[in-house]
Amino acid sequence: MATPPPNNSLQTMLRAAVQSVQWTYSLFWQLCPHKGILTWGDGYYNGAIKTRKTVQAMEVSTEEASLQRSEQLRELYESLSGGETNAKTRRPCASLSPEDLTETEWFYLLCVSFSFHPGLGLPGTAYARRQHLWLSGANEVDSKTFSRAILAKTVVCIPVLEGVVELGTTDKMEEDLNFIQHIKSFFIDQQHPALTAKPALSEQYSTSKPTSSSSSYPLVTANNTIPIQNIVDRGEAIILNNNTKEAELAVPNSSFIPSELMELDATLEEFRVGSSGDGSNHLDSFPTEKSMALCSAGLELLQLQLPPAPAHPPTENLAQGGTDTHYSQTVSSILQKNSRRWPESPSLNLLTDSFQSAFNKWNSGADDYQHHFHVSVASVTSQWLLKYILFSVPYLHTNWLKGKGTSPYETSHVMAERHRREKLNERFLILRSMVPSVTRMDKASILGDTIEYIKQLRDKIESLEARKRLTGKRRMRQVEVSIIESEALLEVECVHREGLLLDLMTKLRELGVEVMMVQSWVKDDGVFVAEMRAMVRENGNGIKASVIEVKNALNQIIPRHEPYTLASSDHF
Amino acid sequence: MENSTQESHLRSENSVSYESPYPIYGMSFSPSHPHRLALGSFIEEYTNRVDILSFHPDTLSLTPNPSLSFDHPYPPTKLMFHPRKPPSSSSDLLATSGDYLRLWEVRDNSVEAVSLFNNSKTSEFCAPLTSFDWNDIDPNRIATSSIDTTCTIWDIERTLVETQLIAHDKEVYDIAWGEARVFASVSADGSVRIFDLRDKEHSTIIYESPHPDTPLLRLAWNKQDLRYMATILMDSNKVVILDIRSPTTPVAELERHRGSVNAIAWAPHSSTHICSAGDDTQALIWDLPTLASPTGIDPVCMYSAGCEINQLQWSAVQPEWIAIAFANKMQLLKV
Repeated sequence: MATPPPNNSLQTMLRAAVQSVQWTYSLFWQLCPHKGILTWGDGYYNGAIKTRKTVQAMEVSTEEASLQRSEQLRELYESLSGGETNAKTRRPCASLSPEDLTETEWFYLLCVSFSFHPGLGLPGTAYARRQHLWLSGANEVDSKTFSRAILAKTVVCIPVLEGVVELGTTDKMEEDLNFIQHIKSFFIDQQHPALTAKPALSEQYSTSKPTSSSSSYPLVTANNTIPIQNIVDRGEAIILNNNTKEAELAVPNSSFIPSELMELDATLEEFRVGSSGDGSNHLDSFPTEKSMALCSAGLELLQLQLPPAPAHPPTENLAQGGTDTHYSQTVSSILQKNSRRWPESPSLNLLTDSFQSAFNKWNSGADDYQHHFHVSVASVTSQWLLKYILFSVPYLHTNWLKGKGTSPYETSHVMAERHRREKLNERFLILRSMVPSVTRMDKASILGDTIEYIKQLRDKIESLEARKRLTGKRRMRQVEVSIIESEALLEVECVHREGLLLDLMTKLRELGVEVMMVQSWVKDDGVFVAEMRAMVRENGNGIKASVIEVKNALNQIIPRHEPYTLASSDHF
Repeated sequence: MENSTQESHLRSENSVSYESPYPIYGMSFSPSHPHRLALGSFIEEYTNRVDILSFHPDTLSLTPNPSLSFDHPYPPTKLMFHPRKPPSSSSDLLATSGDYLRLWEVRDNSVEAVSLFNNSKTSEFCAPLTSFDWNDIDPNRIATSSIDTTCTIWDIERTLVETQLIAHDKEVYDIAWGEARVFASVSADGSVRIFDLRDKEHSTIIYESPHPDTPLLRLAWNKQDLRYMATILMDSNKVVILDIRSPTTPVAELERHRGSVNAIAWAPHSSTHICSAGDDTQALIWDLPTLASPTGIDPVCMYSAGCEINQLQWSAVQPEWIAIAFANKMQLLKV
């Protein structure tokens, strides 16, 4: 097996290839022996630069700018995808930031994060089949076929050595086998003798791109240093390897119908090329054997196409879906990291002072200081002029008047007001001395206490008047009797006691006075009142009771509590 | 340094200075002559002067008018032009207070003494006046405050006392009209009282200083919103804002001056702006918020003069100019 060329040599080849055809970028997907997957090996960016204008001067400066750009894009990817540790590390001031990129630069940068298993994705499929794949209109196809599709309209993957070379451009270009051969020459010519390669390459270049051919031809010549016999051995070895891999390829049976058609066309094309070669040089056996092997592989694939068809779509969909998810996650991760950085950008807001006013804006710093300021203590200079105007200037007149020897100005109002206040104060003092319960000495309290005292006096007056009325009523004690022939009319009013009415009627019966009708009641204040109508009868002796006899008898029955009763007794 | 120099240069275009031969106290803008100012001198003697200046906004300059300068006995405690244009269109009326209330007619090239008001019926001398205010709704009325505890309402045309009230228990230091018949006064007794001439037997106390014997020195009534007035206390850095609807409790206390306050003036064109000046050499413009903040109110902007600011006037005709007086200087500041 041929050993892979060194990295710098690889990048040189990538650069030469992409520049010769003026495409946007070139990548090398390298097979990792341990993991068995294709990963990003190296790349060269040959597209538009956003923040730096490429001066159309010397070719060297242009190449130098693109080379720097490729390296800067790689550094940017590493800083963006790095963890916290990398984020803290300061990057050179010349480093790129995400806002410095064009869309194509973004695409190139994101390619670094991809990897492909053999048979998966465009590079993986090209590697597994050992055939180039030309995808035209890449930005329009289903993301399951080419999940990195954004801007690259044409993508070509060509298997070489132990990996796949990928070129992309923003222009839509149809498949061109001469293009394929041209690109391959940068990586495969090392295996051919110089003399043998010259006529074939020269023929192809003159047909398609004379300028590119002349520019790249010397490079190929310079790199060719391998002996003829060794080339023959390497060629055979390669053929054997290809056969082995294609036999293995037949076993998985993974392929697309469109890809199959493309591959078949490529095989036929190479067959024709082989025939031409057979007629022109002594290495007929080599191309003939290769062509036959390719035809055989193609026929095998065609025969196996129909039976495994139902199983292909699910597997491919899952694989492509996974790749698409990876892409979205990468973009999200980068955007999230960027979003963290953007808020930290310094604010460009400038505070503009207003020069229209003589007043300055209030300073918050001074505000803090003034929070500790206390009310100023009276000092000699505090409010000096204002105090002089109010306190001293009015009395300048007095001094002047006295100086003139005239009497002072009229002070009647001052005296009147003072007299009024003195009277008020004096009367407040008198009022305070008249009120027994004084709580405090201020005028409001004196007034309040006075109001309370007057209320008490009013209550006392009312209670005394009520008592007087009660006393007057208790003095009533009255008995009235009138007798006309045999009819008597009696009225009694006295203090009530229990059984009084019965006692009165019993006494009257003893006197021969028969009660015919009685009307009596007791008043609320305990006064007994009775009105009676009676017939006076003759007693045993034939004598009727007199008014005086009846009156005196009743007076003995009713309660005696008053001096009047005593007087009545004396009179009796 | 360069920026400071440039800023200083820019500031000078926003202020106009006038240096007087003597210290200044009384000041007044003329409403009828937009570019006219009156300045009263402060000399602790009998002989004092009142000068009339002309302000030129185009050239930002102030020029005195010697023919309009006149003698005034004692320092005038207050100067005030007639609040409206008098019938005679060419002349201007200026009132001054001191030993008497005096009225002057400022003509084109001369000043004549018009009236002298005496409120004493038994003496030829009037009780000294501390301040006065000219009623802008009824310009025939001037109210004066006196050290004899009275406020006097004068009839200007008839040169007579319309009413005299015993307003306070002690000297009355300032007075201000609110409406045609309503005025307020502040006193050495520490109270702000409101009087209504339709009910002379009654007055309302709307504020008393927290310390009973702390005099109130100046009073300003907000003409854009009559619910509010402002007062200052002796030896205090506070400007007390009062709402006449809620007596005794201030709605705000402005405490950002680092010295005592000497003068206050409401903005003539805004109901929420007030200017204060004090011993800390600063003039502050405040914007009163609707709701008081717990940490206190900060002024909107400030100006630093060279020494204590004693007097402050906010022009009603040209509200973009404020006049301050300190030492023997007067400055017009653009707001």
